[in-house]
Amino acid sequence: MEELIAQGAESVILKIERWNQYFVLKWRQSKPYLFKDIDSHLRKTRTSRECKMLSVARSLGVRTPAVYAVNLGDYTILMDYIEGTQFKQLADTLTENQLKEFCREFGHSIALLHKGDVVHGDPTTSNLIVDSKFRLWLVDFGLSEMNATVEMKGVDLHLIQRTLETTHWELQESMLEATIKGYSDSLGKEAKDTLSRMEEIRERGRYH
Amino acid sequence: MMALICLGLEGTAHSFGAGIVTDDGKVLSNEWDMLKPAQGGIHPREASRHHSDLGPSIINNALEKAGINYNDIDLIAFSRGPGLGPCLRTTATMARTLSLKLDVPLVDVNHCVAHIEIGCLESRFKDPVTVYVSGGNSQVIAYAGGRFRTFGETLDIAIGNMLDVLGRELGMGFPAGPIVEKLAKQGTNYHSLPYSVKGMDLSYSGMLTAAKKLFSEGISIPDICFSVQETAFGMLAEIAERALAHTKKQELLLTGGVARNNRLTEMLEGVSKRHDVKFHRVSPPLAGDQGAMIAWNGILQFKAGRTIEINDSQVLPKWRTDEQDILWRT
Repeated sequence: MEELIAQGAESVILKIERWNQYFVLKWRQSKPYLFKDIDSHLRKTRTSRECKMLSVARSLGVRTPAVYAVNLGDYTILMDYIEGTQFKQLADTLTENQLKEFCREFGHSIALLHKGDVVHGDPTTSNLIVDSKFRLWLVDFGLSEMNATVEMKGVDLHLIQRTLETTHWELQESMLEATIKGYSDSLGKEAKDTLSRMEEIRERGRYH
Repeated sequence: MMALICLGLEGTAHSFGAGIVTDDGKVLSNEWDMLKPAQGGIHPREASRHHSDLGPSIINNALEKAGINYNDIDLIAFSRGPGLGPCLRTTATMARTLSLKLDVPLVDVNHCVAHIEIGCLESRFKDPVTVYVSGGNSQVIAYAGGRFRTFGETLDIAIGNMLDVLGRELGMGFPAGPIVEKLAKQGTNYHSLPYSVKGMDLSYSGMLTAAKKLFSEGISIPDICFSVQETAFGMLAEIAERALAHTKKQELLLTGGVARNNRLTEMLEGVSKRHDVKFHRVSPPLAGDQGAMIAWNGILQFKAGRTIEINDSQVLPKWRTDEQDILWRT
């Protein structure tokens, strides 16, 4: 059995059955418009990075799918299949309290990564999965990095703010507030620096 | 019934433009001039002086080319922001004066939104993901929930600015983009440069530093240009692809001064093929900063009932794309 469950910007996500169990096979396809050296470099480094960072994140206490196999020849990763829904699709259907609770949980997960000097690199609400037991999973670690600086953590937070304003504009204020609350509560004093860096980053890249 | 005629004034950075457009979407004229600094970058005060020195004659030329008189103008639109303060103020002053003198309504236009709308007029696109690339901006924008929202942008310097700074380092004139494009065709060896995509945002400063280093190591200029284009445009294409996959929109629009680059166009065409969406590159006369886009956006806004009183028309140098309700699309 093989079922296409998502066609993203850089990969195809297949649900497959092996050993009487479901798995996800994530395949990074070639992008013919990129120069070939860049294309193969990105496919290779992101595949190996994702494989490694899923485990690193897990060791920091963040719920991520377990990796079973990686193939750098065809740029695929075999990992846990999480039965659930993208948080992006769920947000509109939740009560305000449920929504805030998930956002706090999201902020808490990002804080656990940042505490371990890891950034996710693409913390959108598409990369959050809510399973049938209402647990939150963090996926898609292809842009994740270790040895993160305050700047890199600030960018991570900026990307959260961005995903909220572009995708959840009607709920963005309460979602951001709850996410930051979850983040600050878990990170304590350290949160201050990264949050003020987030504000700073927002102002860059524009005319002054 | 006579068509509505709008004069649009653009002056957010180093270019001043005057364009005349009718409400059935005809561009009657589109005159502009760009300040080319003898050396170094753009000084805001010098650019604003350029606008006040040349503005009146550019406006006159636009009227003459359109074959109309001042009394035929029904509406004045101006670029209210974002941009360089002194340039915006000079342009706004001209617009206010004309509005008072001719006794016609004044409309305040967001420069970035105007780039998108003129692209939609030309391509007949309804709801695209727009890649807007110029000296001062690198953004991926799409309409959602009543506003144009920035899905991704540069975290440090804009693509055009990056190319100009690199060009200066390599001894090229201003603007450097076209020279980089020409020399890149002669490049044969790719030298690896930092590729920095963060979510749907990107960063060019690390790549720029590394490219300068290649130069100091004696790598040939064509090879540097080739490597820079492949890396910098690859990053842009990737964030455009991410925005398409995320929004599921069916059109991809390329606009802004850097839209003139053929290699970038080719890459975005590749993105559109992968996702089976339509692609359009805005034609050179309408891609850069010019008055026709301001005039057309002015018409859209006026027809949606939005004009502005002179007293409320102070410029907005940091006006974000997503800060304006897009009345004509709701």
